[in-house]
Amino acid sequence: MKKKSGKNIKSSLLISIIFVFCILGAIVFSVARKTSSEMFDSAINNLRDSLGLVKGTIEAVLIKEAEFQDFIAREIAVSDDPYEFIRSYNTNQMITRISLVPEGESEGISNTGEIFSESTLDFSTGKKVGELLITQSYLNDMGTWAYTMKCPVMKDDKKIATLYIEYIFDSFEMILPDNLYDGKAMLYIMDSKSERLILKPTGMGERDAGHLNLTDFYRANNIMKGTIQKEVAKTIGDGNNIMFKHDIRGKSSLIYMWAVNGGTFYMIGYVPIEAIQQEGRSVNQSIFIVVLVMLIAFFLCCVLYYFSWKQQDAIRKEQEAEREIYNKQLADALHAAQIASNSKTTFLSNMSHDIRTPMNAILGFTTLLSKDADNPVKVREYTKKITASGQHLLSLINDVLDVSKIESGKMVLTIGEFTLNDLVSSVDAIIRPMARKKEQNVYVTVIDINHEYLIGDETRINQVLINLLSNSVKYTPEKGNIWFRIIGQKQRSAQYEHIRIEVEDDGYGMTPEFLKTIFDAFTRAENSTTNKVQGAGLGMAITKNIVELMGGTIDVFSEVDKGTLFRVDLELRIPTEQADRQFWQDSGITRILAADTDPEVCRSIHTLMSGTGISVDTALSGQKALDMARHSGDGGPGYQAVLLDFNLADMDGGDMMKKLREVIPVTVPILLLTSCDGKDEQTEASPMENVGFLATPFFVSAFKEALISLRPAQDNSKTKTEDDKTVISGLHFLVAEDNDINAEILSELLDMEGAACEIEGDGQKVLERFERAREGEFDAILMDVQMPVMNGYEASRKIRSLNRPDAKSIPIIAMTANAFAEDVKDALNAGMNAHVAKPIDMDILKKTIREYITTK
Amino acid sequence: MKRKVKGKYNKLMTACIIEVMALALTACGSSNTGENIVFDGNDDKKIVNLFGPMEKSKPNTSNIARTAFDRTIEMAEEELGLTVRYRTYTAENYQEKTYDEVSLDRVRNDMDDLYLLNPDTIQALGSEDKLMDLSVLDSAKNLREVVKTANTVDGKLVAIPQEVVAHGLFVNKDMFDQYDLALPNTPEEFMECCRVFKENGIETPIGANRWWLENFVFAQAYARLYNGGNTETLIEALNKGEAKYSDYMRPGFEFLKELIDKGYIDAEAAYTYEAIEGEGPDFMAQRTPIVMAYWSAANSETAYGKLDFNLQVIGFPSELGQMPVVSMTGYAICTGAEHMDDTLAVLDIILSDEALQLYAQTNKVISPSKNVEVECIDALKPLNERINENMYVLGSNAGMNVEQWGNTCLIVRELLNGATVDECMAAFDKLQEEALNKS
Repeated sequence: MKKKSGKNIKSSLLISIIFVFCILGAIVFSVARKTSSEMFDSAINNLRDSLGLVKGTIEAVLIKEAEFQDFIAREIAVSDDPYEFIRSYNTNQMITRISLVPEGESEGISNTGEIFSESTLDFSTGKKVGELLITQSYLNDMGTWAYTMKCPVMKDDKKIATLYIEYIFDSFEMILPDNLYDGKAMLYIMDSKSERLILKPTGMGERDAGHLNLTDFYRANNIMKGTIQKEVAKTIGDGNNIMFKHDIRGKSSLIYMWAVNGGTFYMIGYVPIEAIQQEGRSVNQSIFIVVLVMLIAFFLCCVLYYFSWKQQDAIRKEQEAEREIYNKQLADALHAAQIASNSKTTFLSNMSHDIRTPMNAILGFTTLLSKDADNPVKVREYTKKITASGQHLLSLINDVLDVSKIESGKMVLTIGEFTLNDLVSSVDAIIRPMARKKEQNVYVTVIDINHEYLIGDETRINQVLINLLSNSVKYTPEKGNIWFRIIGQKQRSAQYEHIRIEVEDDGYGMTPEFLKTIFDAFTRAENSTTNKVQGAGLGMAITKNIVELMGGTIDVFSEVDKGTLFRVDLELRIPTEQADRQFWQDSGITRILAADTDPEVCRSIHTLMSGTGISVDTALSGQKALDMARHSGDGGPGYQAVLLDFNLADMDGGDMMKKLREVIPVTVPILLLTSCDGKDEQTEASPMENVGFLATPFFVSAFKEALISLRPAQDNSKTKTEDDKTVISGLHFLVAEDNDINAEILSELLDMEGAACEIEGDGQKVLERFERAREGEFDAILMDVQMPVMNGYEASRKIRSLNRPDAKSIPIIAMTANAFAEDVKDALNAGMNAHVAKPIDMDILKKTIREYITTK
Repeated sequence: MKRKVKGKYNKLMTACIIEVMALALTACGSSNTGENIVFDGNDDKKIVNLFGPMEKSKPNTSNIARTAFDRTIEMAEEELGLTVRYRTYTAENYQEKTYDEVSLDRVRNDMDDLYLLNPDTIQALGSEDKLMDLSVLDSAKNLREVVKTANTVDGKLVAIPQEVVAHGLFVNKDMFDQYDLALPNTPEEFMECCRVFKENGIETPIGANRWWLENFVFAQAYARLYNGGNTETLIEALNKGEAKYSDYMRPGFEFLKELIDKGYIDAEAAYTYEAIEGEGPDFMAQRTPIVMAYWSAANSETAYGKLDFNLQVIGFPSELGQMPVVSMTGYAICTGAEHMDDTLAVLDIILSDEALQLYAQTNKVISPSKNVEVECIDALKPLNERINENMYVLGSNAGMNVEQWGNTCLIVRELLNGATVDECMAAFDKLQEEALNKS
């Protein structure tokens, strides 16, 4: 509609412009035409004047000639000897012959001495110049056109003779205009009786237009129209003037025939109208040029206006497009907000349900617990269930908090060195039991990894992997399969290991619609199959955000009832010094044998061990491994360790070990490569000496630990140290806790561990109490952060600033519900030694305490 | 990008404004800087008066010959800074004075400076010592000997042509082919062709006018004189009266008489016909298979330059075969010329090799200069071949004491008017006697 209206406006504009131009053109045309017409009239008048002037001049000459002849006649009359007078007269440029015929005689004499008779002349036209008769034009003896006038010689009123004087037309050349209309006009003198053209002024007109007579003039100029010729004949017969238009050689011309001496002669000729109208044409040309310049200027203005308009239009369109984009973005945002709002409503509803469910369990079992407090079996059962519900509730709260942090941009990564081995082990340790419950198969593969020690936020990576894998477990039916792969990618930089983590399952899969929102917060795939699955629906949003925070990418591919594949690409920094290098140098191991039927495993071992300086020989079969082991000592050191796949294709694992042991000394450890839950292999191999187990996938760090585990003494002391780390019995703590229940719980928990504590309700009190305390009275201070009067941070700072010897050394451990990384950082900045998040996990607390309290 | 486009607009706009300003300034400007608004040119123009014949022109066409001549005149005007003024005359009809008569009058009365004269006039005026000796001109050195011979009177080169005019028979080859006729070589063959045409209903096989029938006479009269190897001796004998012109002329006259008597020539019409104008329309309409004309007529659109049939130009019949008749209208200066020096200069330029090359190339004619050669059209090739073989007769020869071209023309007219061959021969004898008496 808008387009149509624009088109109409354009058409109207165009029509208006055309209309204006038409009017302008009509005005210019009429002005030009009027000017031209006026100029033409003026030119015709000018031509008439010119012809009249020439005619007048010729007639004046003729009159003068007649007067002269009359004068001569009178002179002859008084002369004593008229013949002598005649003979003595010399001819000149005008007069070529003077003849005298005495009255009554037919012959006389000429000044040339010849006999003269009037019969040679034709006076039949009866034309006169003044009173003198004039002949028709004729060619004289000089070969030029001439005429003769006769004059009576009177003496005493008596005619005594007739004087004849011959004049030539050549004398007229002097009085005819040289350059009439720039030489474009033709002018002949025609004898009116013979219609013979008797004088063509030289140097005038076109050279090849030599016309003979009027007929030839007509023919040469194509004036063949009978009516014109007839009118011309009549006009000439009447001795009048005539002028008419006619095309001569393609040019519109004016033909003129001007009577001289009452029609004795005629001036005839033509002039092209364009020659007459030169001024008019110049004016018209000027008008045309002015109009053209104006038109050009107008068109230029139009063009400039058009381009300017087009530019503005383009800008307008651009702005419109931008506005549309903004509108779309706004609409999208609104839509997203609506979705978010809906999601959050749904989320709240879900949360309400999800929180109430465990809460119901906790409260319900608490009620039951109070009833069955005397029944230790039931108490254990109830407390176990309360703990499980509490854990579930905690995970829900953690997820919500993570999302909150992500959305507020407060999520911070805690970067540190870690090994892929630990990562895989810890994840496997969590997931595998979950999967086992659903009888699912979990396949863990690590291939093409060059460096297993990497720098990154292990906890968050762990969180990502657990999220993905737990999702797979959740959304895969019983006896389904889950594949967990860590695949080394081509490094883009030598400082970074590019890894791809794939978690694949053959579970329920997702609809394409859901795939679009899977990474949005507060969404959860719900259907009849999965609605029993609990969760806040925040896991994938958190996962995606964590991955992106690490500079990685996450993609998901899924089909309903076929399964899902999550693919995470991460680039993790490689530490400048790979750990354990010293261990391998000290271990005395320089050469090992790896036997596995899977070439990928062999290759992986080879790659990972390349950083240790140990030479790795690989065998894909048992027999080959045996042969290699047998000949390993030939000409060099033998193998100092053997990695052996228990399930070799060509040989039974037990047999293989026995045979292997026969060819290698017992001091050489044999490590059986098993899956994480390879209990069968362990049973079969456990009686053998110096044989250990190494869970696949292979990691150097795991290999190292396996080797260490084969050294009994060291192992025992290590175990002892680990135990020491968790013992807090006998310790005395100063606790800052404003919440009485929490205070009581902590007190009870510490008491259960054999430790004692003194609880103060705020930071100020803790400070004062510590000031009063003896040196060494408290082993550590457990400091809540959010407290009335004085918060934990300030209290810590003040404690540290106290002037007493243990003020700087006493461990202060933050124990707070402020569990974010920045909270940890703030705690450390305030002078605290460590941070333990609430709710309190006693294992963590114990471990932390033991890190700072070395002896008691 | 936008800024670039904007920059272009600005440049365009600036250019337009400058253009408009320039136009405005030009329009406002004036070349008149003084008070006097009349500018008189130099009236002392150098002029040369030229007298020449005037051809009747067809509507809206230009005459090629005049155009070529005009172009050489323009060369002279430009080089010398003068104006050549034309004065022309052509008889309206046979009763009027002829161009030659008027030429004679005008030369004798010193009316003009430069004249285009026919051979008879050249001979007459040369004998009267009224024409300048042109051998002083540089351009005269380039002339062919035959040209010099034909225009030398009493040892003076009195005229020089711009073209060597070769007359020939213009035949409609298609009509000859129609009646299985070969192009004639001898008078007998020619007569036979006429008989066949006549018998086949062609009323007048030969289209004739009052000017050019004498070519038949010259071809038969002088074929041996000019092509026998003893030309000078034979001419000397004629000039001395040892031989008679009438003896040479008789066969040709008898031949013409026979053509007239057998109705192959319409004598009455021929007597009044102007050249081409009279017989031309019948030839072009293929009612007449044979006419006679000059070389350039085959090129000129005003003559026979554009025909609907196969035109061939051959020589006149003679005992030595087809014989071109060569004559020359030449430019001459009268001894009393008012503008003598300028006229000589003009003549030297229009007869220079450069001018003659231009002339010959434009008109495709035979040049009088031995240095100028041009290709001729196919129709003219038979005639050209004969000329190249040096087989031709002169229609005029100023070296003969009896003027040939004009006198023979006039005597042929007498024949057309009913005179007998003997009467015609007597006229030649009389002319020869007068010439002998004069000398």
